[in-house]
Amino acid sequence: ILEQSVTVCASCQLLARLEARRCLKDIEPRLFPEDRGPDQGDWPRPPTHSKTELLYHLLCRCVLPEAAGGLEVDVVFVDTDYSLDMLHLVSILDSKLSAADEAALRSCLSRLLFVHCYSSSQLLLTLHFLETTLSSRPALALILIDSISAFYWVDRCEGGASYTKQEEKLSRCAELLGRLLRDYRITVFATCHAIRRPGVPSSSSDSERSYLCRSWQRLVTHRLLCSRQEPGNNMVSWSSSFCVTEAGVAFLSASEENKCAARQ
Amino acid sequence: MVVLREGMCPGLDEDLLRDLRAADIKTVEDLVSSDIEGLAQKCSVSYKALFAIRRVLLAQHTAFPVSGADLYEELLSSTAILSTGNPSLDKLLDSGLYTGEITELSGGPGSGKSQVCFGVAVHISYQLKQSVIYIDTTGGLAASRLLQMLQAETSNTEEQMEALQRIHVFRLFDVYALLDCLYSLRSGGLQQASVGGGSVKAVIVDSVSAVISPLLGGKQNEGMSLMIQVAGALKTMAKDFNVAALVTNHVTRSGSGEVQPGLGVSWSHIPRTRILLERVEKAAAVSQPKMSWSVMEAMTGQLVFQTFWMFT
Repeated sequence: ILEQSVTVCASCQLLARLEARRCLKDIEPRLFPEDRGPDQGDWPRPPTHSKTELLYHLLCRCVLPEAAGGLEVDVVFVDTDYSLDMLHLVSILDSKLSAADEAALRSCLSRLLFVHCYSSSQLLLTLHFLETTLSSRPALALILIDSISAFYWVDRCEGGASYTKQEEKLSRCAELLGRLLRDYRITVFATCHAIRRPGVPSSSSDSERSYLCRSWQRLVTHRLLCSRQEPGNNMVSWSSSFCVTEAGVAFLSASEENKCAARQ
Repeated sequence: MVVLREGMCPGLDEDLLRDLRAADIKTVEDLVSSDIEGLAQKCSVSYKALFAIRRVLLAQHTAFPVSGADLYEELLSSTAILSTGNPSLDKLLDSGLYTGEITELSGGPGSGKSQVCFGVAVHISYQLKQSVIYIDTTGGLAASRLLQMLQAETSNTEEQMEALQRIHVFRLFDVYALLDCLYSLRSGGLQQASVGGGSVKAVIVDSVSAVISPLLGGKQNEGMSLMIQVAGALKTMAKDFNVAALVTNHVTRSGSGEVQPGLGVSWSHIPRTRILLERVEKAAAVSQPKMSWSVMEAMTGQLVFQTFWMFT
């Protein structure tokens, strides 16, 4: 009987994998126009909290009920540097829901699963654990990682002199994420902080090159570069402006963009 | 990496460990990432037993997901906002220092960072009657100055002594001692400091750049790694024990000549709020302590507004 129950579980898992998860193509048309839905996005940028703000924006879009313009999917938020500002997130959700709807707020929040990792080993083990969560929650369609670069310096120091050892843990995480992406058809967004490498003279092109390991770079299908100034070189295929307010991220229309640029 | 050891979980005995090591599985991560069926055959152990061991080890070492609703409830009941004792500074900080967050004060030498920290410590220990941990890495803390500030609040010596007793001072001068101190505070030190007075509500590190900036620069990575570890230790303590962390930082000039907080790009996203203090040269006669505060407030008002706009 034990043998049988194992097979039943295995086939449930299989079904959960094959069943179509909510497609996130229309998650944010201003960031991802109709023909290029996101699969795996990565955002490096000079330090502020607006990368996290963009993540909150996507998060709200996912957990809000359809009536409020959301997609009603479950989201896992993996926090590696304690930058989750729950109170701010709730104020953004509040501003998008109709006034004082406690029950709706609670149901939105129950669609969010929050995990905190304090080292890259724990991140790897947690991603393995998330696999079981993915099988048991078919509504789970999005993983947000803030940020994937949090353990970069600690791993480099622990790895000693060999680059392979330094990057080993992150490349394992990247490989596992790749497998989860393929098997479960989820979407992953990750933020990545810009760094200044010691001993290397700083230049503006430095922050645009990815410094994480090769397995991670191979995994990324879309790269959004957030910057305060206009994109300098021609690496950029398309750009959009936004500003951060109390109620979250607000994208600017073309005329507002010009006004902003004129003011600066 | 967590190394596999005998007795870590039921079923993980010496023989199995030896077989696993022979198959190049030395850590928990290796075991969890490997193919259990193949491994079970190689180590001549049943698939079920190995699968059970994998499940227990994973449960022991993974971070458990928490539902957003539960997290929000917990935060609502445990977050507090501590007034700094200075109404204008409170307004800049959106009511005060938030527990669970790191706030940074940066400024050049003599701009008043330590004085602001003393003021915050005195206010929390005297007005709010809670304990404060003050980690002094520059040698700039003098108990006589704290007493002077308390004497301006009350003339009752007993109250002054009680308030002074609630401020716990640690003097250390290198980053390893700082990490040691933070870890020992996390594992019992904070509870000890709370005995007798109110619970610890704030941890002030004055200054964090004094112990970290000598290690930065050059080609070594160790300095950056230690800086991130200090940040992690402070944040974990702030979140787990609901304390407000206040740190001070020096300033440097950027390439274009403007003043910016020190410790570089990798530290800049660590504090939630950053305040830049600047000394106003044309200050009027500062005979009363309150006068010099208001001059600073006017300056910081502008600067913080700029910084805040950049960092929200």
